[in-house]
This record gives sequence, C-alpha cells and structure tokens, in this order.
Amino acid sequence: MSQPIIHTTGICKSFGDHQALAPLDLEVGAGQIVGLLGPNGAGKTTLLRMLTGITKPDEGTLRMWGQPHHRDLLSRMGYLPEERGLYKSMRVAEQVLYFAALRGMERKDAEHELRGWLERLEVEGWWNREVADLSKGMAQKIQFIATVLHRPELLILDEPFSGLDPINAALVRGEMLRLVQQEGTTLLLSTHDMGSVEALCDDVVMLHQGNKVLAGATDEVRESARKGRIFLRLKGNMMAFAAELGARAELLTKMTEGEGSAAVHEVELALPDAWPMPGFLKWAVGHVEVLEARPVKLSMEEVFVQTVASALS
Amino acid sequence: MTPWLHPLGTIVRREFVTRVRRRAFLVATLLMPLLMVGFVAAVVLLTQSAEEEAKVWVVDHDGLLTVPTDVGPFVPRCPSCYPERSMLSYRFGREVKSKEELERDGFTCMLEFDEGVVQSEKMQLLQLTPPSGRSRRAMERDMGQALERLKVREQPELDYDVYLSLKTDVSLVVMDYETGEKQGDAKAMVGFFMGIFMCLFVLVYGMHIMRGVIEEKSNRIVEVVLSTVRPRQLLAGKIVGIGLVGMAQMLAWVLLSWVLFLLLGLGVEQSDWMESWAQTQGLSADAVDFQTVLSSQEDLAFLLDIHWPVMLGFGVLYFVLGFGLYGAFFATIGAMVEQESDAQYLMIPVMLPLTFSYILAIQSIDAPESWLSVVSSFIPFSAPISMMVRLPMGVPWWHVAVSLGILAATTWCLVRLAGRVYRVAILMYGKKPGWREVWRWMVRPDAGAL
Repeated sequence: MSQPIIHTTGICKSFGDHQALAPLDLEVGAGQIVGLLGPNGAGKTTLLRMLTGITKPDEGTLRMWGQPHHRDLLSRMGYLPEERGLYKSMRVAEQVLYFAALRGMERKDAEHELRGWLERLEVEGWWNREVADLSKGMAQKIQFIATVLHRPELLILDEPFSGLDPINAALVRGEMLRLVQQEGTTLLLSTHDMGSVEALCDDVVMLHQGNKVLAGATDEVRESARKGRIFLRLKGNMMAFAAELGARAELLTKMTEGEGSAAVHEVELALPDAWPMPGFLKWAVGHVEVLEARPVKLSMEEVFVQTVASALS
Repeated sequence: MTPWLHPLGTIVRREFVTRVRRRAFLVATLLMPLLMVGFVAAVVLLTQSAEEEAKVWVVDHDGLLTVPTDVGPFVPRCPSCYPERSMLSYRFGREVKSKEELERDGFTCMLEFDEGVVQSEKMQLLQLTPPSGRSRRAMERDMGQALERLKVREQPELDYDVYLSLKTDVSLVVMDYETGEKQGDAKAMVGFFMGIFMCLFVLVYGMHIMRGVIEEKSNRIVEVVLSTVRPRQLLAGKIVGIGLVGMAQMLAWVLLSWVLFLLLGLGVEQSDWMESWAQTQGLSADAVDFQTVLSSQEDLAFLLDIHWPVMLGFGVLYFVLGFGLYGAFFATIGAMVEQESDAQYLMIPVMLPLTFSYILAIQSIDAPESWLSVVSSFIPFSAPISMMVRLPMGVPWWHVAVSLGILAATTWCLVRLAGRVYRVAILMYGKKPGWREVWRWMVRPDAGAL
C-alpha cells in the first residue's frame, strides 16, 4: 500500500476515569473507503474528533499524510459530524461559502464549486433559500455540500445518510463513490447502516467499549465471521437427517417447500471447526439427496451483532 | 493575512453581518436617536409651551400686597416681586371669584392672601387646571419674596432696598485647581449615563454571545467549525464580532443623534417659536441660536460643558476591554449549557459584579473622589463604569493608566482561562460540568484541541 492517509499508533483518550478509546492502531490508505463501526459509546466519535483536530489524543502517535498531525492538514479534510446543524439566520449559499472561507477557499472558486454541487444534488434553486425553511433531509444535502466543497482529500462522514429518503440517499451515495473513483478521495464512513457498509466499504474497523474488536477487508471479515455456516438444499427424510446430525453440528434455520417425498428442505448449519465442509458433504450425501450446498456469507449486520455479543461474553 | 487571523476575520464578519442586518437591530439603531433627540426636543418645547398656561388670580383679602389704582384694578406694592414670565402671570383683587368667574376671565387658579398667611407662611392655591411644577415653584418664590418684603417693611429700622442689597445667595462654582475647568454634578451624570449605557451594552451583547454559543452547541454546528478553526479563534471571533455590532450601534446612535440635533437646532432657529422665545428672554432674535436655548435649560445645559471626544474615546476603550472581560464569561457560560434556561444560575457570578458596579457608580456621582470610587475604578470588574463617572470630574492621568492597565491584564488572563473552559465545555453534551471540572480545565491547558 502507498503511504497511508491516516496512521495511528496507540492513540487513546480518557475523560476523567472513563477511557473513551483504548490504544488504537489504525491505517487507512489513499482512495480507500473504510467503514468505522461500533455500537453507541464505542469510541467512534472520540476517534473522529481526534482525526479532525477537535481533541488531542492523550497518548500515541497520529500521522496524517505521513506527517505528524497538525492544524494545516485540517483544510485537506472534510468532516460531517453525526449530529449537525446549520446557522438558522443565514441563507444556503452564504452558509456554505462561510465554511469554505474558514477552510481558506477563495470566494470565486467556492461559488463556482457550489453551483456545480447544487446542480449535482438537484437543488439548483436553493442559493438564496433561508436555512430555517429547510427540512431535515434538505439541510442534510447542504451539510454534505459544505463538507465536500473545498475538495478534501479525506472525507470523514458520520452517519451521512440519516434523514435522507432512499432516493436522496442513493444520490449522495453515488456522489461519494464518484469522489472516490474519479477524484481519489479517501472516505472514512462511520455508520450504523450496514447495507451501506456492504455496498461501499473496502475495509471495516469495529470498535466496542473503546477497543478495536474487528478490522480488515469487508469481504474477508464477513467470510471469517462465517464460522462454519453453510446452506443446504436437500431432499429426503429430514427428521432422520437431523437425528443423525445430533449434536455434531448446529441446525440454525429450516424451511420446507412441498409435502411428502417431494418436499425440499432448506437448512442453515453451523459446522464445528473439526468438521470442515467437504467432509460434512461426503457424510451428508449418504443420508439425504443434496441439491445445493454453499458457504453462508454473513451480512455485516450479523457480523456486527455477533462481534458485539462475543465481545460482551 | 496570517493563518490565525484569516479564519478569525471570517468569523468576525459572519457574527457582525448576520446581526446588523436583522430587522430588530436596524429598528433599535434608528429608533434610539429619534427617542433621545425627541426627549431633548420635548424638554425644550413642552416646558416652553407650558409657560403660558398658569394665570393666577391673587385674592389680597387685607390689602397687604396690593394698592388700588384710579383706573380700577389693584396693582402690587412690589412689582419686582412678580417678574414677567411667559409661563406665569398674576392679576390682583380683593374679592374671591367663583369657579365660573375664574373660567370666564381665563384664570387657571386662585391664591388667597391674608394676615394669617403672614403668620403661618402657608397659602391656599385653588386650581382649575393644575399648574406645572415649574410654575408652582415660581409662585412659591414670588409669594415668598412678597411676604419677605412685607415683613421687612414692618420693621421700621430696616429699609427694604438696603435689605435686598445686603441679602446674598451663594452658589458654588467648582473648578479644578490646576486646569481651571468647571466641575459639576451634571458632568458626573454624563459619565454615569455613559457607564450605565456601557453596562447595558455589555449585558445585552454579552447575552448575544451566550445565545450564539448555545445555538452553535445545541445544533452541533460547533463540531464542523472546530474541525477547521481553533476554539480560541471561534471564541475570539464571536466576542470581537458581537462587540463590533455593539460599537456600530453606539456609533450609529452618536452620529444619528448628532445629525438630528443639528437638524433640530436648524429647525428651531428658523421657526417662529425662536423669535417668541427670544422676546420672552429679553434677547434679540438675531443674537440667539439653538445653543443659547439649550444653555438656558437647567436640565440640558450641562451637555454643552462636556469634553465629548475625551469621554467618547475613553468610553470606547473601556467598552472594548470591559466587553472582552464579560464577553468571555458569557461565552463560557453558553459553552457549559445546552439551552438558555440552564444558564440562569451560572449567570449569577457575572450579574453580581455588574450590579455591584452600578451601585458603586451611583455612589460615585456624589463623591467621585471618595476612596470607594477610586478603588472601584481600579477594580477591573467595576472600572469601566466607575472610571466613566470619575472621568468628567478630572482624574489624574496615572489613575486612568493604572485602571486601564489592570483592566487590560485581567481581560487578557480571563479570556485565556475562559478559552480553556470553552474549548472543553463546548463539546460536552448531556452532563453539566461542575465547578471542580471547570477548575481542572482551567489549570490543565493540554486538555483541548489540536
């Protein structure tokens, strides 16, 4: 991997006696989309605030673009916090241009960019609209524009789709992908929307109670979390098959279509490590007619729940 | 522009522009000078117009004050006791008039004078229309003088004219020993009003700061801003921006009032009223101007006796420093709460010194050089108001320098400490920070942003 955009070594943060983030090592490469996952209170916002310079780590090293983190690097980032607002006494364009000016953008460039973004997000007529008149979803689009207007190399988005209807969520998701694919933007996405994580993220990092409990490529994470789960479509005596299986494997779900000898059963099993899929299939064909067999890939939601449950236990 | 100043300028501009364009600001800015000038005009015009109203029928039962004339009406024994005034005139007679007779003859009230009055020194005034306070005081003075003359005349060894020539009223003309400048309570009042205005501005615009911080915190926009600028830049930008709004309003008031005073002066000088006023004062209409009118008004004459550039210059200086001092407090309070109602109890430490300064300022009007006034003009929390009261009375330069020095140093320190609390508190949600926590943030400066 080329030089990472974010590289942390043992960064941690405590508030009084409460450790919000345990020492964390994290690496995010250029052009990657990384999902930051975790239940509420996992330390995600604390991490994001450190990355965006709002707070400093108590300990550890935080390097951005290969250099120690400092304020001059902040203009290369765009940050959309989870709970965000706009100044009600300002108009749409005025507000977005204010944030652009804070990030050192020339007014003319900012106005040019803003026109493009208003068009892309299908809100061309909003230039002079009062912020107080915007709905939550409308405000969300403006907040997104304010985050990306200065063409940041690193986008840090906390729940970017909350408040958006499916059509607008797809529109924003499409723009995020365009930024990554066409402009090489790196994206750190903190969200509870696991569908978006599956659809967008190359890698995921999961925090729980301030600790990193999972990290890796999204597909690999889903694969490794599978833990012997397989899907079978079979014909035959299901009762006898289940009795033969006994305690050797766990029967997770079962569905039956048709009746009598024509019945087709769909089952999901969790095989123990000692009984891998090929050996199991060899055993199974001796008892039932196997129509289809494939490993089950867990959804990110299942991975999330499973990881949290295992961390708690 | 340096990297520190560029975002600061942007924040200042936003804070300034979004406030000055509000309708409420524009209305208040335009309305206040109109009210101020209107008040002065009302004092001048209404008191003058009220002068024609009191026409008194004096019943001299025992002929002590008047003598009959060949042509009919009675004339006073002492015409000089009743100087001609536009607001008050007397007619004398021996008989009591009924209400209808008084109304028919155009009298507004009736005074009765007899031997009993000489003893009791009390007269009965029966009014149809209540005379103004000014007219009533003039009647008391005139009748007192007439009674005094009567008593002197009863003493054969005393000559009234000699008595008058010996009678002396002393008034104090207070002057500074070194500069020879005239001093007076009215001057202190100007300082007091400027101090009170300052106090009011600090309070009103301090609340603006607090509300602005609460807005940014409660709608979480502060996180976006703080991912771009330092908390101290945001805090400074807010205080400076809103302070400038206050100063712009003050400047607009001064300029508009000045223009309106000029217009009022021009209007008055060219009006018929001016001519009739000059006649009542025994002056030539060509020789008087609006300034003469103002100086003739006891309530307003002091306005001409003030070093306005000095007062306004120091007023701005003390406002800037005082606003910085209190503004930092208001911002910190805003950062510690999520809604305005939660800020009430936190405001007590800010309101107390402001109230204390106000009470001290009232004391200082009577005794601007008392140790209390002097000390309070050095205490940074009360200096902006106390020193403004003392300034017009003449203050040693080193008092002003020390007072400004202490105020500037305290403001600098407190803005820094407030900044430390602000940058942590602004990101805290749910839990209200306790005083112990606030103290820890103040003494541990490394707890903040990058």
